[in-house]
Amino acid sequence: MRSSLPVLLGRALLIAAFLGAWEALPRLGVADPELLPPFSTVLGTLWGLLARPALRADLAITTVQLLVAVAVALPVGTLLGLLLSENPRLGAIFDPLVFFLFSIPKSIFLPMFILTMGIGFWQKVAFGVFSTVFIVLMSATAAVRAVRPDHVFVARAFGATRAQIAWRVYLPSMLPILLEGFRLAVIFGFTAVLLAEMYASRTGMGHQIASWGENFMMDRLFAGVLLLAIVAIVLNEAIRAVEVRCSHWRS
Amino acid sequence: MQPLAELKPVVDEAIAPERPIIQVSGLDHVYPSRDGPVHALSDIALTVGEGRFVVIVGPSGCGKSSLLMMLAGLRHQTAGTILCSGRPITDPDPDRVGVVFQEANLFPWLTAIDNVAFPLALRGVSRAERAARANAMLELVGLGDAGGRYPHELSGGMKQRVSIARGLVQDPPVLLMDEPFAALDEQTRMAMGEELLRIWSATRKTVVFVTHSLTEAVYLADEVLVMSARPGRIVDRMEVELPRPRTYEMMAGAVFGRLRDRIWQQIKAPAR
Ligand SMILES: Nc1ncnc2c1ncn2[C@@H]1O[C@H](COP(=O)(O)OP(=O)(O)O)[C@@H](O)[C@H]1O
Ligand SMILES: [Mg+2]
Repeated sequence: MRSSLPVLLGRALLIAAFLGAWEALPRLGVADPELLPPFSTVLGTLWGLLARPALRADLAITTVQLLVAVAVALPVGTLLGLLLSENPRLGAIFDPLVFFLFSIPKSIFLPMFILTMGIGFWQKVAFGVFSTVFIVLMSATAAVRAVRPDHVFVARAFGATRAQIAWRVYLPSMLPILLEGFRLAVIFGFTAVLLAEMYASRTGMGHQIASWGENFMMDRLFAGVLLLAIVAIVLNEAIRAVEVRCSHWRS
Repeated sequence: MQPLAELKPVVDEAIAPERPIIQVSGLDHVYPSRDGPVHALSDIALTVGEGRFVVIVGPSGCGKSSLLMMLAGLRHQTAGTILCSGRPITDPDPDRVGVVFQEANLFPWLTAIDNVAFPLALRGVSRAERAARANAMLELVGLGDAGGRYPHELSGGMKQRVSIARGLVQDPPVLLMDEPFAALDEQTRMAMGEELLRIWSATRKTVVFVTHSLTEAVYLADEVLVMSARPGRIVDRMEVELPRPRTYEMMAGAVFGRLRDRIWQQIKAPAR
């Protein structure tokens, strides 16, 4: 979707106004600079933090936990989704259960993960997987429904084997919806990993944010929020770019 | 005295001058369904000569598509045999039979040329050869410059041309077509009929074409097979002795009208 120049200008203006207010309100004394440090101060703090190896390590560990969680949830969720939608009886048995699990907030299970797995790397990965696998599963099920029987029939008419039908008909038909599920999984996985880190951890960006907050270090807290917001937006946009490339034909 | 063996081919030739390429005998089909078995086809026997344009015409629901799907190896008949080039058809065999469906059913994520090349890609044909052959087919159907377009950028008639090109790309001796123009508007449909005859005379394929349109049947065919309402049976067989190329004017002629009436009598007769 290409936006027109006035729309783009409007958006730029909005962002400038937001950042301008952020800068001006504490400086003019309208907001308490102790609670809301000016944007330029936060930016300076962020710059300083990024120079510190310890913070870079925290950022790295959070990112790796997220990526591992998604790398597990993606194939597992997709395969389970395929299994349930290609197997009517299994689907009939499991679909309601999956749907119920899908609708429960995953955060309430966090204490159990901590009790059984401790507060290390794999606990956060496991909680991340648990929080995302149902999203992937549901989107895989929806993606299978997007495969048109006519297309499978045509492929069969031209002698396609089962593997060829999977690769050349199922995959391209499912890809746009799968990628959308993938994107949602990254968003929810990020939330899950950060939450687990904020709740109980010795490492990671979530842990840092929580402790800066508890210690009233507002400039660092805002810098951390800014950094994570940027990481999340970049991840999201990267997947969306792939999504657009793979679904141009859907218009 | 002349030996009998030497006489026989002469007799055969008098009945069917072309070598038979499709031979169907004793074909019967019953669909199981929730409301009990549906007897779709009953005792179908037919022979299609090589290079002929044969049209199967019959009322909706008489089993035309079922018959064609069986000829394509896409559905298994309850009883009877189907031979193509002397060998039974049990599974789809794109080397012997190409198929064109009522809906073009192109893959929306592939360009026109990649859709045409799809059957070749399944066979592991090299990229360069795929492109060359698919391009030649697009030229044949008059879409030489639309290869890079996606299906949603093509009109209904163009999509069906691409579908025909895809059916022909592996150069099978037989092309099966299931009401390929039924979803098109009247003008496009006429133009596509003419276009198909041009393609047919350029490639000399054997075509088995299914339709429920009497006019389309007579306009296109060398030979028309008429099917009855369910259970589908072949109730009549007629040669269309109109010269080729066929023209629009022939439709108003006496021969055309007589053939069309004869089909109509057969189709409406068993109205219960
Ligand atoms: N898969 C199926 N299961 C049950 N009945 C079917 C199935 N396919 C077709 N039929 C029935 O068989 C009959 C012939 O169908 P079809 O071959 O599609 O006819 P046509 O193409 O001449 O309209 C119809 O009455 C149809 O309802
Ligand atoms: Mg039909």
